[in-house]
Amino acid sequence: MQAISVKNLTVSFGPQAVLDRVSFDVPKGGLAAVIGPNGSGKTTLFKALLGLIPYQGTIKVFDKPVKEILDRVAYVPQYFDFDRTLPITVQEFLSFNHPRQPKQSKEICHETKVGALKPKLIGQLSGGQLQRVLIANALMRQPKLLLLDEPAAGIDIEGSKAFYDLVGHVNKEHGVTVVMISHEINMVYHFADQIICLNRDLVCNGPPHEALTKDVMAKLYGPTSDFRPHAHL
Amino acid sequence: MTQLLALPFVQRALIAGVLLGALLAVLGIFVVLKRMAFLSDGIAHASLAGVAAGLLANLNPLLMALGLSAVLGALIAWLERKAKIASDAVIGLVFTSGMALGVVLLAFKQGYQPELVTFLFGNILAIQWSELYVMAAFGLAILVFLAASYKKISLMLINQDLAHVSGVNVAAYQTALYVMVALATVLGIKLLGIVLVSALLIMPVTTAKLVSKSFRQLAVYSVIFAELMVLAGLYFSVLFNLPTGATMVLAGMAFFILTFAVQKNRSVA
Repeated sequence: MQAISVKNLTVSFGPQAVLDRVSFDVPKGGLAAVIGPNGSGKTTLFKALLGLIPYQGTIKVFDKPVKEILDRVAYVPQYFDFDRTLPITVQEFLSFNHPRQPKQSKEICHETKVGALKPKLIGQLSGGQLQRVLIANALMRQPKLLLLDEPAAGIDIEGSKAFYDLVGHVNKEHGVTVVMISHEINMVYHFADQIICLNRDLVCNGPPHEALTKDVMAKLYGPTSDFRPHAHL
Repeated sequence: MTQLLALPFVQRALIAGVLLGALLAVLGIFVVLKRMAFLSDGIAHASLAGVAAGLLANLNPLLMALGLSAVLGALIAWLERKAKIASDAVIGLVFTSGMALGVVLLAFKQGYQPELVTFLFGNILAIQWSELYVMAAFGLAILVFLAASYKKISLMLINQDLAHVSGVNVAAYQTALYVMVALATVLGIKLLGIVLVSALLIMPVTTAKLVSKSFRQLAVYSVIFAELMVLAGLYFSVLFNLPTGATMVLAGMAFFILTFAVQKNRSVA
């Protein structure tokens, strides 16, 4: 069964196509990374997947239109657009999303190491801490599909590694299909089991070692791209 | 003091001040969260068109201004979504057009307009029972709605996409928020006037931020600071025969400076 099935997806803002006839599938339980240069349509793809913008083509999530299964889809945004000096605790933020906390709430907070952060203010969290809170928030929906928009942006290397481990745990242990936008090519090469390369159209799609060739990287980022597939993490 | 409290116009002023202080303070949290202080300023100025239309047609200026502000609030929310124009530009368009329309309409009305001066600078001591009933009805309805939906609104202001995924109808709640801010702003005009009304939205929450350690505390302290600002302003304006609205704003600024100084002193110690 496919978790996501995208057929001939085209999104245009004015005369310019931001995504042009993109087709791919992500199998249930998969962990896919979407890569591409700035302006390649990655975030637009997520907005279309979430039903936030109009598009042409077909998108099915677990064989249904996303509207019908939105309650089982979780999303971790790249940034928050609010006055971060306002005092909102992690506990309060979680309650905004989940007025009735699920039974698994304690277990999720333990797994994501969010328990100790609950009295802290959202605006005072480090990048890594905030991403853990957002993952905990997402898991409380008991999702079947988790969409992450550049989750490790602005986090140091150690924090980034810990974050990817947590996402791997969510994928493998909870059986949640994960699709993430990332700029960290070397990290996702080792971590994801499917790479989707976008540059308005679909440039590559498949397992990392097959999809990420030097030609593909040159097509995405130019001939000087810094990609070392065998680098140690 | 007891003699003052026995006066009906002081009683009406107190009830109106306490009610609108709480209403504007609570809405101010969302205004600051969304960084849309300019919205209330814009609506307040644009509502001049409603006031002018009311004066010209011999209809209740407050009700006319409320009706117009609700339409403008919904229009700004719609334009923001559909026209892909930046929020401050949309508000700027509505702000100046509404004000200009008000000025043009007033040109058709001959002679001195005492009600117009009240709307420009506020006069809480001139509030009538009929106006107080309108304030109470709208104010309580907005507070009940906010109590029921503040979590959804807060989530929407933190991140719209996250709210959408969580099942919040973003377009509907955004429109509702803008309309509520517009209505509350116009209700507050009677206290502080078009020129100063946004002070009650911004000052209490800005002062409360200095001492709050959670969203719940922020809401409680914002209301407390708003009530202190209203009551101190009312008391000193009556005591020294000063303009009430302006005295309230100065009292609010005094509370902010005092709280800031105490906080600074504590952090140094």
